Amino acid sequence: MDFSLSKEQKFFKGQVSRALSRIVAPFADSIDKTDMFPRELFRELGALGYYGIRYPSDIGGMGADCISFTILAEELARASIGFAAIATMQCLMGTDFVYRFGNARQKRKYLIPAIKGNKIGTIAFTEPDCGSDLGGIKTRAVKNDRGYVLTGRKLWITDGDVADFVTVAATTDPGKRLGGIGFFLVEKGTPGFSTGQKIDKISARGAATMELIFDECQVPAESLMGEEGKGAKYLNDILSEIRIMIAGLGLGLAKSAFVAGLNYARQREAFGRPIGKFQLIEEKLAEMEVRIKAAELLTYHAAWLKDNGSLTGKQAAMAKFYSTEAACYVVDEVSRIHGAYGLAEEYPAQRYFRDARFLLFGGGTSEILKTIIAKDVMKRSDFEIN
Amino acid sequence: MNIIVLVKQVPDPEALVEIAASGKDLNIEPKFAINLFDEFALEEALRLKEKHGGSVKAIGLGGPKAIEALRTAIAMGADEAVLIEDESFAARDGYDTAFVLSRALQKEAFDIILSGRQAIDRDRAEVPQMVAQFLGLPHVGVIVKLDVADGKATAESALEGVAEVIEVGLPAIFTAQKGLNEPRVPLITGVMKAMKVQIPRVTLTDLGVSKDAGQKTSVLRYLPPKKRPAVQFIEGEPAQAAREIVRILADVERAI
Ligand SMILES: Cc1cc2nc3c(=O)[nH]c(=O)nc-3n(C[C@H](O)[C@H](O)[C@H](O)COP(=O)(O)OP(=O)(O)OC[C@H]3O[C@@H](n4cnc5c(N)ncnc54)[C@H](O)[C@@H]3O)c2cc1C
Repeated sequence: MDFSLSKEQKFFKGQVSRALSRIVAPFADSIDKTDMFPRELFRELGALGYYGIRYPSDIGGMGADCISFTILAEELARASIGFAAIATMQCLMGTDFVYRFGNARQKRKYLIPAIKGNKIGTIAFTEPDCGSDLGGIKTRAVKNDRGYVLTGRKLWITDGDVADFVTVAATTDPGKRLGGIGFFLVEKGTPGFSTGQKIDKISARGAATMELIFDECQVPAESLMGEEGKGAKYLNDILSEIRIMIAGLGLGLAKSAFVAGLNYARQREAFGRPIGKFQLIEEKLAEMEVRIKAAELLTYHAAWLKDNGSLTGKQAAMAKFYSTEAACYVVDEVSRIHGAYGLAEEYPAQRYFRDARFLLFGGGTSEILKTIIAKDVMKRSDFEIN
Repeated sequence: MNIIVLVKQVPDPEALVEIAASGKDLNIEPKFAINLFDEFALEEALRLKEKHGGSVKAIGLGGPKAIEALRTAIAMGADEAVLIEDESFAARDGYDTAFVLSRALQKEAFDIILSGRQAIDRDRAEVPQMVAQFLGLPHVGVIVKLDVADGKATAESALEGVAEVIEVGLPAIFTAQKGLNEPRVPLITGVMKAMKVQIPRVTLTDLGVSKDAGQKTSVLRYLPPKKRPAVQFIEGEPAQAAREIVRILADVERAI
């Protein structure tokens, strides 16, 4: 049993942390305030090779394991949740289907430039009338002699306004629910594909969430990523990784917020002493520390299990559930420690408070995750040993 | 052009520091970083290499932890790095440090040695100058610009209000000041490479230096910074308040 990062992993974490605190963190506030896609910054991180971290070196990636990717997610979130939403979309969900199922031409055209930060990719499954219930999507893919015709609407699509290509979930057979879903690679500018409204939101600003409209959008047969009807399975293949990544985001945000709270508790005085010396504030600090450490253990344990080939869906669900809830708890307590200043625009506490909410939904809501955990529990007579 | 950069691992600027109960040591939160000024030195070395070819080698001295500063150098693009490993150097003086470094440097072929103008932990700004002395090399300190041509270097040294332009024959030692450049952020592939690279370590024995080679100064104790006296508010009409300020400055503080 060994609970520590290796020397190499610690070095990696230190380097990534230094780099992101230098290049990204200074813009966290302006990304949040302007709610604009930070294009320069996006390119800069691409040029440094960050988006290829999960992919093998022969296509410009660095072949990193899940622990390293989790470290990156954590450090991105420490710097800026808005930017983290953009960068992790690019590293994982936005590019993974074309990596796994794209042909050589598609990889050359979309994946390689995306890894370099020259093209933006995103994924679209959520619709106005369905989110958690993926099997209920209504966007249709109808086969014809030129490929498929897509019709339907997507909502809440990260980077939908700027994405150069989108991996879109559509059903070829609505009756089959999950079994009818396929993913299609659609390029910006394809006739019949347009963007609709932007959803103004209080969390993860900078990563715009958009409506995408498909109106008899003809795509070639090669747009189908993998096989018809297997989309849900393909998404499931990376779902645990997505959950561990979001758990990493929760961890990073919680740590940033905690440090802000700690510093404030040291500096702010009331009744003749630093507020951090009051037992009730100490209790907050202790409680937060424990929850963050517990989230860290669950998150990196899940990443470690993934790297060792023994991850179960439940482990990833627990990590995402606990870490994101811990983040929500921490940002709330940090806001309280700040008193009125927790509401002031000039302090980051209010941004942390808003940003944490974003983590609760994508990758499975806490309710859905608890359902998964409970299902697993019901199959057992006792605790497993691992 | 062969360039050597002297690199020190220092406590992270944000690490908490307090005086140990004995008063003879500092308790420093174990968070480390490469010395800020050494980053400027490294960046300059890499730029010179990109312009003129050659190689960049980083040399560090300290305990095993110091290897991380050298890995950072590799991540940024240094060709090689070596650690002179000796845990006791955290507590030894600049003379001793410079002596050991100069012994190591005698075994190297170089045109330029670069380092930071000072280490941000002790702020003594003494090691590179003493290394220059031990090696009999010229030293140009606190530079904000460096150009090399025809075996000579032209450097700008920042002074109060002016910059001094200095020419010097190579080999020579330069210390980097803030403003010399903007250190690069390593490529992620550079970080990966640095993670895995084996950084050679040499011992004082390898360099033929005895343990107590040259320590000339020793720290007796650490004193806490003077407590700032409480702020004193002077009330009253402006003219009367001004008279009171003058009285305090002249008679109480004897500052004027
Ligand atoms: C900032 C942001 C970015 C996003 N980016 C993308 C993107 O790029 N692409 C994309 O496709 N989607 C994206 N989403 C959408 C996200 O995936 C969905 O929000 C998520 O799947 C949940 O769906 P929903 O919000 O429609 O909630 P619903 O599924 O409608 O759930 C509403 C509530 O009901 C509960 N509930 C639902 N089903 C059950 C059940 N079986 N048991 C118990 N409780 C249940 C939920 O937990 C929740 O509390 C994004 C969302 C956000 C907030």
